[in-house]
Amino acid sequence: MGSELRTGDAGSEQRELLSVSVPANAGAIANVSDTVAEILLRLGVPEEKQMEIGLALQEALANAVVHGCGNDASKEVHCRLSSDSEGRIRIIVSDPGPGHDLNSLPAPSLTPDLDRDHGRGIYLIRQLMDDVRFERGGSEIQMWKY
Amino acid sequence: MDINVRKRSHVFLVHLRGPLRLGEAVDGLRKTLEELLGSGEHNLVIDLSEVPMIDSSGIGIVVRYLATTKARGGSVKLLNPSQFAVRTLKLVGVLNLFEVFDNEEKAVESFGRTAPA
Repeated sequence: MGSELRTGDAGSEQRELLSVSVPANAGAIANVSDTVAEILLRLGVPEEKQMEIGLALQEALANAVVHGCGNDASKEVHCRLSSDSEGRIRIIVSDPGPGHDLNSLPAPSLTPDLDRDHGRGIYLIRQLMDDVRFERGGSEIQMWKY
Repeated sequence: MDINVRKRSHVFLVHLRGPLRLGEAVDGLRKTLEELLGSGEHNLVIDLSEVPMIDSSGIGIVVRYLATTKARGGSVKLLNPSQFAVRTLKLVGVLNLFEVFDNEEKAVESFGRTAPA
């Protein structure tokens, strides 16, 4: 866990709070979610915002494990957490997969198949975070909470 | 996640404690629900009072078992979901699929009114 200062993509100075690679399995990503929750608590992030960030992170990590790594625990998922001087939280989750067009996923209410967890996860991320971008062909998600 | 099951009348009450998310929690709940349905009883109340968060795989499993139990004449009803869980279910458009109760007695009784003779 580091605390170095970096210049973020949005041009603001980012303080890195966590940078970790974990095996692509559900147990490992649960630990990442729990670690991030502890950091947000220490930072004094309001509870509702902690919950929103926590669920969005869980969805991004699960997406990376299931769709990016195909549940192959020999692969790794990378997660970075940082904040800027205004307290905005940035999370980047990436996987070694080829990515795909996540912008094409329909909103769940438009999806007749109730089994579509994947569409629900991405939709939730978009609803819970203030800015969401997909990079590297969809194998990296960058999300901000202001 | 801790999963505790009780039976009241012809209804199984499934109390969950911890985040309902991909992995151990969802796998454990799936196994439990499969065993309960295997017993021939299809009336389930899932107590979410100690579930701070439900992710999309958790939503997926409760929606799937709602469909399964309904197809067999039963249902899955929710008891005391947290505000954030309610908000999450609403966001993805599935909250209105469920009957939601804030009282265990009423949740159990509600099956009595709809139970087959």
